[in-house]
Amino acid sequence: MIEKKITVPNKLGIHARPAALIVRAAVEFDCDVWVESPADKVNAKSIMGVMTLAASGGTLITVSAQGDQEETAVETVVEVIRSGFGEEMI
Amino acid sequence: MLFKGIAASHGIAIGPAFLLKVEELRHARRTLIDSSESEEEILRFRDAIISVKHDLENIADSMGDVVEGRQILEFLLLLLQDPTIKKEVENKIRCDKVNAEYAVSSTLLDVMDKFNIMKDPYIRERVADVKDVGRRIIEKLTGTEKDALNNLKQPVVLVARDLDPSETAGLKPGQVLAFVTDMGGKTSHTTILARALGIPAVVGLQKITVEIHPQDLIIVDGIHGCVIVNPTEKELSYYAEIREQFQEAESLLQQANPGPALTEDGVRYELAANIELPHEVEMVKSLAADGIGLFRTEFLRLIQEKGENEEDHFDIYNKMALDMLPKPVIIRTYDMGGDKFRTGLNSAREANPFLGYRAVRIGLDRPEEFSIQLRAILRASIHGNIKLMFPMVTHVEQLRSLLDLIKLVKNDLRVKAIPFDENMQVGIMVETPATVIALDLMLPYVDFVSIGTNDLTQYTLAVDRGNPKVAYLYDSFHPAVLRQIDTVVRLCHAQQKWVGVCGSMAANPLAVPLLIGFGVDELSVAPSLIPDVKKMIAVVTTHAAREMAEKSLSIETGLRVRALVHSYVIGKYPEILLDENDWKTGG
Repeated sequence: MIEKKITVPNKLGIHARPAALIVRAAVEFDCDVWVESPADKVNAKSIMGVMTLAASGGTLITVSAQGDQEETAVETVVEVIRSGFGEEMI
Repeated sequence: MLFKGIAASHGIAIGPAFLLKVEELRHARRTLIDSSESEEEILRFRDAIISVKHDLENIADSMGDVVEGRQILEFLLLLLQDPTIKKEVENKIRCDKVNAEYAVSSTLLDVMDKFNIMKDPYIRERVADVKDVGRRIIEKLTGTEKDALNNLKQPVVLVARDLDPSETAGLKPGQVLAFVTDMGGKTSHTTILARALGIPAVVGLQKITVEIHPQDLIIVDGIHGCVIVNPTEKELSYYAEIREQFQEAESLLQQANPGPALTEDGVRYELAANIELPHEVEMVKSLAADGIGLFRTEFLRLIQEKGENEEDHFDIYNKMALDMLPKPVIIRTYDMGGDKFRTGLNSAREANPFLGYRAVRIGLDRPEEFSIQLRAILRASIHGNIKLMFPMVTHVEQLRSLLDLIKLVKNDLRVKAIPFDENMQVGIMVETPATVIALDLMLPYVDFVSIGTNDLTQYTLAVDRGNPKVAYLYDSFHPAVLRQIDTVVRLCHAQQKWVGVCGSMAANPLAVPLLIGFGVDELSVAPSLIPDVKKMIAVVTTHAAREMAEKSLSIETGLRVRALVHSYVIGKYPEILLDENDWKTGG
């Protein structure tokens, strides 16, 4: 099990489009991937889960993974978030 | 449990319920029998997902470079394949033992609730997407249900919110014992179809689809407008007996008079049949009707899967003309729109479909497609017994354009040396007050008219006959309707044109004496009603009919007109199956 913390860097936070980007990155891996906010922990491959997390800009979230390629999986998802989804940063 | 609705088509049926598609995201719950059925439902659900995925990918491909469109579709695809949702649905099917449709709709309704309470407006907006995905999955699931309807092992009572022609076009007589619907009134599509098939129907039951479960035993009493769900032994034996009596009476009626329709004083009266499906011609012939007064061609559109095909039209018209020879066949061109069809032709939802893009308005807007039907009709006219009728003509300009279109088709046929009947009669339906008031201006262009009393009543009284809240105002005996019928007959006869009635008034025992009295030349009714109407005509003398008709024109209310005719009819024909609603209330 690998985990890494990151602050949501964009102004609007994880709304529909960013959520879709996260899910699309996560489904590339066979291992289980999660995203966790102070409020909830959800399956990173579930668009509904990631959206209901409703993490706003500035929230500290944890990305974790377990199974094959867990390290790369966490790195990839964290990188997607760090990029700010190509949106305006805080 | 007993439910009361509107008696739409006479008869009694007893059989198992078959629920046909229940509105998008509120699907009826059905409890599964065992775990093997659960596994079947799960497979059905997974197949539906694959099939929707395929559809969405196709749409995405067709979008090309439209970035926003692609993004939306990619989002829909992610939702569709969401592992959490999938697991939840399959859990429901497995643990709660419910059908796939119910599991999908209840899961997605929960998701929508969750999205709805989110603070982020960007997320709330996505509720529509969840709904879209849900609707697509359920459409696939119920699609297989429709297939099941075509592969029934035993006849069923069809239960639905409302019946769409696209769902009922493939029905074979004998497959369905009766119709039971939430929506509809005495003249809705379901009713017309039930009468055409000669099966009982109770409509306007409001929420019956929620009360009935698949395979429930149902008694449909189309005489009194009752539906009994899971009847007691006592009710069952009572109705089994009534059903037998009714069938006996029906067959007696059918045997009773194989000859032409005659009034009591021996005047020969023209009585034709309205048909929807080509195979009904057999019944029309065995009942010795005076031809086909109305062939509704809308079903052809549904039989044709790959767009309009002239040969398909021609084959059916040609066979019908030959089968009926020498009796006339009146072919009405497409009457799509209104309540009858929601086809690809008018993809935009209309605020007022009855006032919108329908019938010849579509035909004139798409003359090339429309000409395919006209050509086929003209080619079949070679046998000499075909007449063509246009629905919903409200403007003289339309009528002129339609006749120009016929002229063009005729010229083309002449050039190609394809034979047709040069003197084929052309007529119009009279369905709106506009057509009645300006009829003298239209008559010089046509050979005959046929009054569609259902539409004429609805347009005159501004009442949507399918809306249960106002349906009570719908009354074909309203003075405004009766006076218009009288006007139409006078105008037609003044210009030596004949006039028929093909709406449901033509089979109403209280209306038949009035129509005869007004001087209507022909009545056209569903084939299964021909024996009844023959009997209705046989108890009327032309003199009494004329007197009643004249008197009716100065009576204030429809109710009183019905009472007037009722007292005459009941005295001469007491055993007639009079629907009490016909004369007690405005129904």
